[in-house]
Amino acid sequence: MTAGSHVLHAADVAFTYDRRGPRVVDGVTLGVPRGAIVGLLGPNGSGKTTLLRLLSGTVTPLSGRITIDGVAIGSLSRREMARRIAVVPQETHSAFDFSVLEIVLMGRYPHLGAFELEGANDVAIAREALAATGTAALESRRFATLSGGEKQRVVIASALAQSSEILLLDEPTASLDLGFQFDIARLLTRLNRERAVTMVVSTHDLNLAATLCTELVLLKSGRVLAHGPTERVLNAESVRALYGVDADVVRHPRAGHLTVVPLARAD
Amino acid sequence: MLVVAAVAAAASIALHAQARRVVSIIPATTEMLFAMGAGDRLVAVGSYDRFPPEVEKLPRVGALLDPAVERIIAMRPDLVILYGTQSELRTQLDRAQIPYYAYTHRGLGDITETIRSLGARVGVTAQANAVAGRIEGQLADIRSRVGKSPRSKTLLVFGRERGTLRNIDASGGVGFLHDMLETAGGADVLGDVKQQSVMMTTEMVLARAPDVIIELRYARGDDTDGTDLGEWNALPAVPAVKSHRVFMLRGEEFVVPGPRVAAATERLARLLHPEAFK
Amino acid sequence: MTVAAFGALTIACGLVAPIVGSTPISLSRVFDRAIPFADNVDAQVFFVARLPRVIAAALVGSGLAVAGVVFQALLRNPLASPDTLGVSAGATLGAMIAITFHVDVAVMGITAVPLASFLGSAGALGIVYLLAAARRRGTSSTVLLLAGVALSAFLGALLRLIQIVADFTDTLRNVRWMMGSLDVASYAPIVATLVPMAFAFAVAGSLPRVLDLISMGADAAESRGVDVRRAERIALLSASLSTGAAVSLGGPIPFVGIVVPHIVRLLVGADHRVVLPASALFGASFVIICDLVARTVFGPVELPVGTVTAILGGPFFLWLLFRRLA
Repeated sequence: MTAGSHVLHAADVAFTYDRRGPRVVDGVTLGVPRGAIVGLLGPNGSGKTTLLRLLSGTVTPLSGRITIDGVAIGSLSRREMARRIAVVPQETHSAFDFSVLEIVLMGRYPHLGAFELEGANDVAIAREALAATGTAALESRRFATLSGGEKQRVVIASALAQSSEILLLDEPTASLDLGFQFDIARLLTRLNRERAVTMVVSTHDLNLAATLCTELVLLKSGRVLAHGPTERVLNAESVRALYGVDADVVRHPRAGHLTVVPLARAD
Repeated sequence: MLVVAAVAAAASIALHAQARRVVSIIPATTEMLFAMGAGDRLVAVGSYDRFPPEVEKLPRVGALLDPAVERIIAMRPDLVILYGTQSELRTQLDRAQIPYYAYTHRGLGDITETIRSLGARVGVTAQANAVAGRIEGQLADIRSRVGKSPRSKTLLVFGRERGTLRNIDASGGVGFLHDMLETAGGADVLGDVKQQSVMMTTEMVLARAPDVIIELRYARGDDTDGTDLGEWNALPAVPAVKSHRVFMLRGEEFVVPGPRVAAATERLARLLHPEAFK
Repeated sequence: MTVAAFGALTIACGLVAPIVGSTPISLSRVFDRAIPFADNVDAQVFFVARLPRVIAAALVGSGLAVAGVVFQALLRNPLASPDTLGVSAGATLGAMIAITFHVDVAVMGITAVPLASFLGSAGALGIVYLLAAARRRGTSSTVLLLAGVALSAFLGALLRLIQIVADFTDTLRNVRWMMGSLDVASYAPIVATLVPMAFAFAVAGSLPRVLDLISMGADAAESRGVDVRRAERIALLSASLSTGAAVSLGGPIPFVGIVVPHIVRLLVGADHRVVLPASALFGASFVIICDLVARTVFGPVELPVGTVTAILGGPFFLWLLFRRLA
């Protein structure tokens, strides 16, 4: 696949936080097909979060090129970028006591003019995003009083309110219990299907990746180990290469997708 | 009063005590010692001591807030003159077994009391009594000169932000400045305020309506020629401003309640009652 | 409460305060044209002693409150204040230098102390900005905070150094200045303060929505399309300018910048589009009222206005702190 058929494409991208230190992202090339859910898989420190920050334009690569719909992201304004890509961070802390609706309305910022106030249309979009994430009833609640799962869904709603075609998620279920993990995974699958939102999800939860993602990018030490459809890429060899663990990777008869069961430390 | 009396008693019990190496961190007592001819017994003075010029040659050992205890003890003094409130320093000196004289700063009358008791403590009783007597005589003379003259309501200002009427500090109804003013034949317009220093505002000046305003300036480098008293023209309803009786007096004798207090009182009196000194 | 309600409160305070005081005056005498101004005590009390004072209180109050709101959003910390980044300390240092070294210039009707104070605050702002912007990744709030704390500490040390050099009467004047005073007695310093403060307010007026967004975190704001570096620079500039103008007019009056934004948020919520104007208005009312209390409660003497804001603001701030930590 060439860069042209990808909605998001990174070509030989490198980045480091400390010039004298090792590169956090070291020559990564990957393409995100339109409508796909791409998982970035890898151990802690593999560069997943940094790669997401590069893709969203928050940081500039040392070398290499990142394009969105074929256009270099450096040439787009921040507002324009925000209209095309929304980010769901791992954690959201609010310094002040905003309500749920206020937080979701923040997602409308890239669509407003300099001194423009949110109009009825923006509020409608925000409410619709809340409904899509099953949090419409929480609209007037203080964000800080919500549970972890509720917060994460509200943050996803805020990202949806940006009406962007691409969603980047950084460890979306990391701090959630099994029930909420399940809910978020189902939600994302549904959003991808119903709204044609292309997603890039970084995670180290192998089973989540197996459930959610149509294709995977395996990252280790800032480099791509493997890249392709989940069925092909997620196997015992790649798990061993990434995590140093011997595992069984089998299709679960009732769940309908691959599951990873760790068995022993490799060597 | 009690402290001064107690120390004076202790001093006289010590019988013809002599102090040869004196440390004084208080400008008033430093001046007093020089006035009674005991200046050569001083081995160190305080940070704010300025008079007489001889003090410039002496080492400095801090003041009320920051006495340099080790340096003071290192001077091997046989008498340290300190403020009555410096309990920390007193404890340290007790430990080092160095005698001290505790000074309290109050009204005009206490100045001559202190001169006498300090003189006895140091061992120059006759000279001290002479100095005190001279001061008392001068003050009595001033009192008699101004005695019958009508007293104007006077505001005594000792601080103000340059170029404005902000942060005015005035003398209240307590303390040696107040006593000096009363002796000099002025009626303290803040006489009912029982504080030594009063933070004045423009509203208070208008309300009190003084007939005379006297600004006291101390700083040596302060070479203003008095034209900056024009700021008071912002309050033309004040009687002192209306009748052009806003004055400035320059000199350090107004901030140090020491032997020069009589001269300072006379300067005040000449300003308030020029006719009494013809 | 709406912004209009806050506005009504401010207007009410502004109208009542010059009439009330420790000296009884009669309004009819104040405005009696028949009496020449130079002889009209009531008019002088009103127009020279009180009115400039009330206006100064309003300016200082709104300036510090707005600075507080902006700093709290910029530093993502509801406990931040105009003092946190050292701008206030810079203003104090400037004033002390002018007082201690008897600087006696006047530029366009502005006397040495407020001028030096303002320059001091501008200097502090410059240093904080340079320290924080030295990192090419832009001003992160942690770096800004550290730079400000370091600068405050350094300036505090310089202040103590100056106090050593100062003689007894200068120390008295320094201490007096630091208590804060709104008794400006003329309109020139007010006009002089209005210029930088109006500019700061105009700049801050472009910020409310952006403040909401950057208070959620720099990355979060960036991903929603905010130019975070530029926004932080503008916020820093407007808040510091406002602080510098306020402190050089009235001295470092404590607690206004922390307490007013909090009270306002309790009443109107967190949306900066309401919080910012409401804080400006409430800050003005708060200081007008504190100054009124300061000059009437213990007649005939006055309390320093900083004492009243501390007595009212201090316990409230402690309560807020415990509530937050609980």
